[in-house]
Amino acid sequence: MLAFTWPEFFQQITSGLASGAIYASLALALVLIYRATDVINFAQGEMATFTTYIAWMLMQHGLPYWPAFVLTLVIAFAGGFAIERVVIRPVENRPEIVIVIVTIGMLIAINGLTGWIWGSEVKAFDSPFPNRTVDVAGVAISLQDVGTFCVCLATVLVLWLFFRFTTLGLAMRAAAVNPGASRLLGVRVGWMLAIGWGLAAALGAVAGMMAAPTTFLDPNMMLVILIYAFAAAVLGGIDSPVGAVVGGLTLGVLVNLLGRYVAFVGEELRLPTALAILLTVLVIRPQGLFGHAVVRRV
Amino acid sequence: MKKTLAVMACCVGAAIATLSSASAAREGAGSAAATPGFTKSSIVIGGTFPLSGPVSGYAPIARGMEAYFNYVNNRKGPDGKTGIRGRKIVWKYYDDAYNPANTVQLTNKLVLEDKVFAIVGTLGTEDNQAIRPFLNERKIPQLFVSTGASYWGLQYRQFPWTIGWQPDYIAEGRAYGQWIAKNSPNAKIAVFYQNDDYGKDYLRGVKIGLGAKKSLIVSELSYEVTDTSYASQIARQKASGADTWVLLTTAGTPTVRAIATAKALNWKPNTLVINSVAATDAVMAAVVDRVGADFVSGAISSAYLKNVSNPKYANDPAVKQYRALLAKYGPSGADSNNGFYYYGVAKAYDTAKVLFNAGKNPTRASLMRAALNMNWTNPYAIKGVKDKTTRSDHFPLSQIKLARYTNGTFTEFGPLIKGR
Amino acid sequence: MIARAALIALRLLPVAVTVVLVVLIGQRAGEFRLDEFTYVAIYFAALLGLNMLTGYNGQISLGHGAFMCIGAYVAAVAVLGRPGLALYGHHPPDWLPVGDGMRPVFTIPLAFVLTGAVGFLFGIPALRLAGVSLALATFAMAVSLPAIAKKFENVTGGGGGVNLPLPHTPFGWDISTKRWLYYEAWGVAAVLFVLSWLLVRGRVGRAWRAIRDREVAATASGVSPAVYKTLAFAVSSAFAGAAGALLAIQVSYVNPDTFPISLSVLLLASVVIGGLGSLSGALFGALLYEFLPIYAQEPPLVHFAFGKQAPAVVFGVLLILIMYALPGGFAGAIRRMFAPLTRFLRERQNTREPILEPARRGEA
Repeated sequence: MLAFTWPEFFQQITSGLASGAIYASLALALVLIYRATDVINFAQGEMATFTTYIAWMLMQHGLPYWPAFVLTLVIAFAGGFAIERVVIRPVENRPEIVIVIVTIGMLIAINGLTGWIWGSEVKAFDSPFPNRTVDVAGVAISLQDVGTFCVCLATVLVLWLFFRFTTLGLAMRAAAVNPGASRLLGVRVGWMLAIGWGLAAALGAVAGMMAAPTTFLDPNMMLVILIYAFAAAVLGGIDSPVGAVVGGLTLGVLVNLLGRYVAFVGEELRLPTALAILLTVLVIRPQGLFGHAVVRRV
Repeated sequence: MKKTLAVMACCVGAAIATLSSASAAREGAGSAAATPGFTKSSIVIGGTFPLSGPVSGYAPIARGMEAYFNYVNNRKGPDGKTGIRGRKIVWKYYDDAYNPANTVQLTNKLVLEDKVFAIVGTLGTEDNQAIRPFLNERKIPQLFVSTGASYWGLQYRQFPWTIGWQPDYIAEGRAYGQWIAKNSPNAKIAVFYQNDDYGKDYLRGVKIGLGAKKSLIVSELSYEVTDTSYASQIARQKASGADTWVLLTTAGTPTVRAIATAKALNWKPNTLVINSVAATDAVMAAVVDRVGADFVSGAISSAYLKNVSNPKYANDPAVKQYRALLAKYGPSGADSNNGFYYYGVAKAYDTAKVLFNAGKNPTRASLMRAALNMNWTNPYAIKGVKDKTTRSDHFPLSQIKLARYTNGTFTEFGPLIKGR
Repeated sequence: MIARAALIALRLLPVAVTVVLVVLIGQRAGEFRLDEFTYVAIYFAALLGLNMLTGYNGQISLGHGAFMCIGAYVAAVAVLGRPGLALYGHHPPDWLPVGDGMRPVFTIPLAFVLTGAVGFLFGIPALRLAGVSLALATFAMAVSLPAIAKKFENVTGGGGGVNLPLPHTPFGWDISTKRWLYYEAWGVAAVLFVLSWLLVRGRVGRAWRAIRDREVAATASGVSPAVYKTLAFAVSSAFAGAAGALLAIQVSYVNPDTFPISLSVLLLASVVIGGLGSLSGALFGALLYEFLPIYAQEPPLVHFAFGKQAPAVVFGVLLILIMYALPGGFAGAIRRMFAPLTRFLRERQNTREPILEPARRGEA
């Protein structure tokens, strides 16, 4: 094995934080939907991919980056909203397992649709950040990665402010926690759920557009990232946005360090080992790092 | 209630339809002595391909073959008849999503239900390995498999009904190894390969080609298809001080990601070698978009088929014919610059020729004899490359030329290299 | 009396119909149909296990394919033995009891036991997890197992996989190989079905359902969740292991790609659509799993270009639509269809055989 050097160690960590930021971004979307509707949306990654392709298409037709970005967010929001109203509403009150299967069906369908509309050839995707790498004490840090990281943190901040300080945020939280009482107070619960999905879809679009410059655009781009995002969200506490970010970053760094410094793990067992470690943490602390302990009342 | 009944009725109807076809397909019904898959007016052949899933990038191969077979069915052949001696080619292909268990099931369907004459062009090393014993036991030709593993050509004594088509990965890797040993005898080589038989076969070839200079390899790292980022491995390769980088990755995403990651890590190896499956102009164009032309200019790869997106071949009659027949007989909106359609057409050309050479009343045995008696030039291959097989040479295409990426396209250079 | 007999007959009807169909198909069908229905038996066995875990015991598992993978590799390694693996250049470590090759039939109980043991070991830490975390844990297993199989090349054959010797009818019996495989698979499925039925209708099943519906009340009544939840994992993975062994024998090839994450996900979808919490649901699910993907590629009733180009879209949309129309799955729908009849029979049974007439208000 290559000798240990500090610059390389920090390089592994910074690269890990960069991929971790992508996992965290998608995990945020998962957490948002879970908080709003108590459902794990397995199709979140595919929705993100689909909206990223829409952004790509807009830019192919001449739209500059930022207008395309904003327009994509609007379209994503509308799409997520519509999906909740049309696809999820009929099964809202059914057992959890039914909704799980519906989201799995969406995953399969949207993945197929993306491949059918745009083909499976890999495409390059523009980035709003300059395509340069700076060298900091022997560690190469690409501005793209810095940008992704900052966007991720900014998103968490915006979400926190939204839920804490706006009426709409409060109404959404109320609708998630106690729909019955919220209705009595005049909150339109159905709309709150739909807005939750819309916001999550927009978050997913952000995640996709941040990831695409480095992972490149292809229909299966988010399939594997979903695994990481799911793990990150649960590790962080499935209802905690901060937890999702911490979970994502931790997972990204852990995978890199394990692969590089633990000979037995090597490249092949990076993900399984990281997942095993995660699950051990969960067994010790079932609610996740930042989740709320579930108290069962008898 | 009514809705439930309606759904139930549909399902019961479907079930009855399935079961009634169960009793209809009786074992040994009809003339058992007749060769399945061919009638007075048609020859049925089939294969399985990953039309969906992570490697669906190879799906155009099946459609390219389909386009060519449609073309054959509509043109007059060397004997003046359309199709193969007047018989239409019926080409059936299914989606196995690169899962060998699906390949086995679907190949069973092709053989037992669709009653194909031969299995042609099935894609995937492991997928073909899964069906090889079954097809050989039943003496069904497993023709021109779409993978470059060397064992199709090497293990023919054990599996006489199986034959590959393209130059194998070991031969190609060897060409790269030899080139590096000759042109950069003091290079420090880093190899980045996909962790499966595909990548490992290439790696084996590179090492054989390097020969005594094998010690020039300072870093040999792999990646998994489940990796979202290769930064960890590539950071290590950069730290190893290598100046020559050999990429043994699959087409599409892994290749572009690897190169873009290297640039993001501020690592620019002097020499870049990319395996031919991955080094298509389209993939390189996507890379150039993100890393700039400078980074990949001069990259080395290899080729045995003409590069359709190279302006040098714009007026080549075979390439022009390919574009025309893809437009007319291929799926609507097919991008003729996608090399996988071209690969499919080239393979279908050879398939049609061996079907023709199998004789007026072909049998599976006569088809294999024809496949082991190939000796012609495929118009879609680069100049000098010949299709040649004999009883002891089971590698139809085995010659390649090295190619260099300049001005946005790969152009061949140097002499013809013998693979086997 | 008659009502009671009729009720019992109604209960046994699905079993009887299935047996008749299985035998009929076995006798009359051509090679390909036999092949297809053998896979139905294999997935039926696997789904029986998943049904017990997720349907009766309420633990969502996204990792059932991983247990099938274990069973398949056990069967493959046992059938090939050291000599077989050596042909591929693989040499398992000496301390591993690989043996010298075994008749394929015997690998099925072996896979059953070994996979059950793994499931049991998995179930213990899983007790601390619930809902989403458990789903993640099982999902993680499904993702990790192929990678592990790839790593331990010396035992499993790594990424390239191993071919099992092509199956042949044993003991020189005079039936075709496909027919033998068909009966072997259905025989195993039948045994597993009976086992499943005994578990589900007995104390274990009641305990499972009690834990699923009201865990706290169950615990208060003396039912130990720890014991029964772990048991559920052990049993369901044992079933999956046996199914995996059958699959390895049927396909005659195993490699990590044959058990991708999509297998686990689709198995879960199939058992839900077939009908959770009912044994016949597992059969419907198996039929669906086997036939829907093939017919989504070539829709027999409705032909449209979309189907050929984007079978995944058709498949995904169908999954969703079926969940709308039949949330209890096919088994649930059939039960609803027969509900008037069963209700009628139950009432007849009760009026004919009063146990004790409840006293009416106001009467003596």
